[in-house]
Amino acid sequence: MNSVTSTRPRANRFALASARVVLLLLRARAILVLLLLLVLFSALAPEFLKANNLSILTKHVAIAALLAVGMTFVVLTGGIDLSVGSIAGLGGMVAGYLLTQGISLGGATHYPPVVIVILLTICACLLVGALNGWLVAKAGVAPFIATLGTLYIARGAALLISNGKTFPNLGGAASRGNAGFPAFGQSFLLHVPTPVWMMVALFAVAWVVATKTPFGRHVYAIGGNERAARLAGIRVAQVKLATYVFSAFCAALVGLIIAAQLEAAHPATGESFELNAIAAVVLGGTSLMGGRGSVTGSLIGAFVIGVLADGLVMLGVSEFWQIVIKGVVIVLAVGLDQLQTRLQARILPYLTTAGTEEGRS
Amino acid sequence: MSQVNQPAAEIILEARNITKRYPGNVALDGVTFRAYREQVNVLIGENGAGKSTLMRILAGAEKADEGTLFLEGRPLVLHTPRDAAANGISIVYQELLALTNLKISENIFAGRELCHAAVLVDQAAQDQRSNAALRHLRKPMDVATETGRLSLGCRQVVEIARALDQGSRILILDEPTSALSASEAESLFEVIADLKRAGVTIIYISHRLHELLHLGDRFTVLRSGRVVGEATRADATRAWIVERMSGRKEGANDAATAISPSRPAVLTVSGLTLPGSVGDEAAQAALHDVSFELCEGEILGVYGLLGAGRTELVEALAGLRPIASGTVAIRGQMIRTGSVRGALQAGMVLMPEDRQRDGLFPELSIRENVVMAAKTGPILSRGEESKRVRKLAAELHIAAKDVELPVTTLSGGNQQKVLLARCLMCSPAVLLMDEPTRGVDVGAKAEIYGILRELAAKGLSIVFTSSEIEETQALAARVLVLCQGRISAEFSRDQLSDEGLFAAASPSVAAGANAATARPAGGTA
Repeated sequence: MNSVTSTRPRANRFALASARVVLLLLRARAILVLLLLLVLFSALAPEFLKANNLSILTKHVAIAALLAVGMTFVVLTGGIDLSVGSIAGLGGMVAGYLLTQGISLGGATHYPPVVIVILLTICACLLVGALNGWLVAKAGVAPFIATLGTLYIARGAALLISNGKTFPNLGGAASRGNAGFPAFGQSFLLHVPTPVWMMVALFAVAWVVATKTPFGRHVYAIGGNERAARLAGIRVAQVKLATYVFSAFCAALVGLIIAAQLEAAHPATGESFELNAIAAVVLGGTSLMGGRGSVTGSLIGAFVIGVLADGLVMLGVSEFWQIVIKGVVIVLAVGLDQLQTRLQARILPYLTTAGTEEGRS
Repeated sequence: MSQVNQPAAEIILEARNITKRYPGNVALDGVTFRAYREQVNVLIGENGAGKSTLMRILAGAEKADEGTLFLEGRPLVLHTPRDAAANGISIVYQELLALTNLKISENIFAGRELCHAAVLVDQAAQDQRSNAALRHLRKPMDVATETGRLSLGCRQVVEIARALDQGSRILILDEPTSALSASEAESLFEVIADLKRAGVTIIYISHRLHELLHLGDRFTVLRSGRVVGEATRADATRAWIVERMSGRKEGANDAATAISPSRPAVLTVSGLTLPGSVGDEAAQAALHDVSFELCEGEILGVYGLLGAGRTELVEALAGLRPIASGTVAIRGQMIRTGSVRGALQAGMVLMPEDRQRDGLFPELSIRENVVMAAKTGPILSRGEESKRVRKLAAELHIAAKDVELPVTTLSGGNQQKVLLARCLMCSPAVLLMDEPTRGVDVGAKAEIYGILRELAAKGLSIVFTSSEIEETQALAARVLVLCQGRISAEFSRDQLSDEGLFAAASPSVAAGANAATARPAGGTA
């Protein structure tokens, strides 16, 4: 039966090889687009590649990237987290409250040290993440609805904390023992801003978790086929819950960073950040259906969005056009994703026959 | 089976010299297929032989690279399934396409709604014609029923009714019985016989040999994209078909395995009762007081019709369903029921019936699919996994070029073996299998049976469910028959017969003979 197939493949080898190259290019599209943008902007705007600008750029990117990395796990399970922007806003307000209002205990006002402020803020945000996870994993609410609900809840809570006002002067005071908070967002380590280090560290951890641990594999498995995952003994509910808690953790970091950078906490902070995070995840090639994608892709996606925004500003493109261009890029990215899926489907039959023919003959 | 004479039957549809290429793969290589008027034209072939591709071309869902279609001698060009329907050709796909959220009549007229003044849907007319079509098939149903509430057998009838209402003269049925119970299949055969009498030409694809021989008038065998045999009913025998299909003689594989007597019991199930599904009007227990023992190295078959509780039984044992009462013990140790992890830790693992829905992770590689349920350390080692998976793949003859390829590149039989490999990676004491060879071709079937016998010989205890009498007989050392959630009979291997199994599985017969006589082997209850 091999005589049937052995004559054909040679004729198709060229077509197949070129299809593979195109597929490879499509798979690497996020990084290719990023390189293209870098080349383009540095050619058009000489200022673009200056160290000063790159430092500002990466600081911007770090915020989007932190959210995108957290969002990736949620999306990989087939979910979505619309609440991250609100959680970031809530986090900033909790930190602002603790730093400026302190905690009233027995008539006296205590000002917790900065480390405790940060930990309490993160805990508050994790609670919202846990609520997301519980709603999705245990109560069976659709992720879109569950996190849309917590989006409003967290934003409302942020507004309630200060009655809608801004907490200014988060610098704290040595006399209260709570000075030093701004360093969380403003300090440098080896000439690199702290938030960028956080992004690097978080990305490294997320990458290892996604690719090297059973948890990461379970995340992909649940997104690929939840029923099969359950049957394989995977704790589906716990894994899902953990992804929402992790996403909220990332949002908490973002909230703290922004509050520290501005030395002020405003309840509207983080509005529509969730959309940027989702855009970065999608640009990075993660399927919104779950089961396919990578943390690395999301990081690159965040850079694409960041570089695009920054570069367009430097070129003096109008703010309104920037929004349109961002939308176009996202739509193109999804289009290319479809193309990749189709091309893969076209190539698969070849791989199949090669495998089975050898096995059967 | 009455003798059918075929006086120079007329060709109604011919696909001449059809070639269809996919990149690097020739699905059909100069295939000529003829369908004869008012006959049941059977197309047989292993998975991947090109049957479905050919059918999709005949149904207008795909276009051939070379070759021509002829309808009643005139060349026919089909661009879309609509063109095919306009020419009287309809297809009922294996995975039924029914819109489960719509009513029966809405399904029958989906995409071709009858309208008042070309604007508003004329529901009354649709209902009336749907009723007529269903009555014609001798399967009257309430056409206002939501299709999702119908059994698979009824959904199939609805699709056939749709084809009939379109005035189809040629009806293509792609593996129509793969999801049907024996009784549903029987009633489908009646429908086919009726249609044939009414002048409809049937093209029937399947690899269930006994039903093919029973139904077919003309046989065409495909292998690796080529026609390797054509015969009329008079010339087609089981052996001929198997040999043509697989390119080898039917093996002596079906030989009986020796039964393992008086070995220690591995699995003890007593008084297992399962609540009926929620919202079920019958509110009947899905399983009632099921008790049995399974010995080390034994292969126990669980036979029953659709809805008898086969799947419920193995799913309950695997921890997928909560149980109402009863106990499950492995080697005398009670296990936590209603928990998949509890069952896995006790050494019991389920290979599900529907591998696409419950088994495979389509986005992941063969390797990742195999290791998914295995115990792991905190950090995964790809190299170590690769080694284990390749070894297991070789043992199970998984025809994979590379274990890093997506699992979807494999044929159905090999995908099934990937699931088997996953189960074995858990080093189970008891392997539960729900329909172990569903959607698997004949060659791979025999191979899987061989592997299971080997595993049992090495001491693995296996419980499998099946709705196929042939499979039950080929594999089981002992058979439990389920009927309406109760064990209605138990047979040892030498007591097995088609009639006995079928009688014990059928509600009316079993009700009469229950308990009194139909337990020849003496149940353990």
